[in-house]
Amino acid sequence: MDKRSSKVTDPWASGARGGVAALRGRMRRWGRDHRRVAGESLLYVSARLGASLLVWLLIGIALALPGGLYLLQTNLVRMTQGWEGRPGISVYFQANAQAQLAKALRDELSGDPSIERVTLVTADQALAEFQQFAGISDALAHLSGNPLPASLRIVLRDSAEADAFDLMATRLRARTGVEEVSIEKTWLQRVQAMTGLVRRLGVVLALTFSVGAILVTATSVRLAIESRLEELRVMKLVGATNPYIRRPFLYFGLFYGLGGGVAGAMLISAVLLIVEAPLASLLGSYGADVQLAGLNLGFFVGLLALGGALGVCGALLAARQRLSGLQVI
Amino acid sequence: MSQIEFHNVTKRYDNGTEALNGVSLSFEEGSMTFLTGHSGAGKSTFLRLLLRLDVPTRGQILVNGVNVVQLPESRIPAYRQHMGAVFQDHHLLAQRSVYDNVAVPLRVTGMIERDVARRVRAALSRVGLLEKERLLPRHLSTGEQQRVGIARAVVNRPRVLLADEPTGNLDPELSRDIMRLFEQFQEVGTTVIIASHERELIEAMAKPIVELSQGTLTPPTAEEDGQAQLESH
Repeated sequence: MDKRSSKVTDPWASGARGGVAALRGRMRRWGRDHRRVAGESLLYVSARLGASLLVWLLIGIALALPGGLYLLQTNLVRMTQGWEGRPGISVYFQANAQAQLAKALRDELSGDPSIERVTLVTADQALAEFQQFAGISDALAHLSGNPLPASLRIVLRDSAEADAFDLMATRLRARTGVEEVSIEKTWLQRVQAMTGLVRRLGVVLALTFSVGAILVTATSVRLAIESRLEELRVMKLVGATNPYIRRPFLYFGLFYGLGGGVAGAMLISAVLLIVEAPLASLLGSYGADVQLAGLNLGFFVGLLALGGALGVCGALLAARQRLSGLQVI
Repeated sequence: MSQIEFHNVTKRYDNGTEALNGVSLSFEEGSMTFLTGHSGAGKSTFLRLLLRLDVPTRGQILVNGVNVVQLPESRIPAYRQHMGAVFQDHHLLAQRSVYDNVAVPLRVTGMIERDVARRVRAALSRVGLLEKERLLPRHLSTGEQQRVGIARAVVNRPRVLLADEPTGNLDPELSRDIMRLFEQFQEVGTTVIIASHERELIEAMAKPIVELSQGTLTPPTAEEDGQAQLESH
């Protein structure tokens, strides 16, 4: 070995200085180290498959519950929007009211921006329908006249709030010739209330289980840190930076989280497989023709991203707790 | 300007123990110096302060003219990459091979694996353990484990090599071998500071000796008066 130059320098400042080439060099080293650490961390996680499966399952359950509720809420919203039997307002005229009154009101309401459509059912049409469905045409034939009134069937737009029904009904009741106004909003109110409940429940569960997923990951990563404390001490002694020391554990967290995302997606898929047929049957009984929102690519990627993010958060928490103030020797 | 300078350094621990008291001392680049003294004299504290594992209660420690006491946290890793350290109990990673143990200081710098392999093998060759690179530390003798520790300390070609009781667990013959190894690194320009209480061994090395007693320097004897220069304190 050659005798070294005796020139006095500040060698440990070299990492903080340098031009573009030095920056590129550091970036290359950084990228290379990430690839190496990611590979090693994947090996570590897969080599302890039993423990990793448990962590994945726990995180999967934590993700599946709010994820499942999100899907349920999405389907409820679709159901209220897509159902042909969407509720509206029925306006019944007095039996002796002139047909012109009903037509005039229909024309007037057709221009209302909050109304999607207005259908006039004349007294004659009502009688014909009644005869057709009730199967009592013989009995009706004995009546001296048509006992059924003309009516309007009003369907409000999707954006209409439940309160809009009450306002419109009050307005219509005051009109000349109107006998009765019937609001068919009970079903809508129930579904909207249920959707709101599911949404809130989803948010609460998402927050609660996210904390759970973070703690599960943090505990697992902390165990990994404990098992490598001696190595970490040596690393610090020989000049490893804190990000370098943290890096493998962040990858552990990421892989635990991604695995949890896959487990969560599998759980949701299994539940969907089980409930899809009876749910379709239930909706069919209400005359709804709804395409169920299921596990599509976007949802799956979202679940993975959420799992990964929670995993990294858990790992950061564990690393911060355990590595700060780590005694080197 | 000396490479390493301690100026009136005092270290008092939280429990009130004063490990160093107003120590002023300097080391020239490429020198080899022994720190000696009884247990508790402050030798290990001296090395810990130099490795920036701890900070003094008072005083300055200059390395290449930079006060390492005030070194920001972000620059400490780079500082340590230029310091090699050897300990009595080796601190080897039990689950890693000899090769991987020696490679640790290089990998933390992000060196590519091809260069890591070249440097690790050169270091192992230097300490005579190249043929044992695949073994785990537990398959080595104590002396060999200490050699692995030395290889790890020098693999990064540090400018300063510190050793805390590096021959504490070794028999006299092995101890002399280890000391000769340190001497070889000094001969190629590395500044070597060795803390040891084995008076007979270090006197045989005929290198400057600095004696600490209860945290203060004791004046050198005529034989000990060498490169280590005591300053007034």
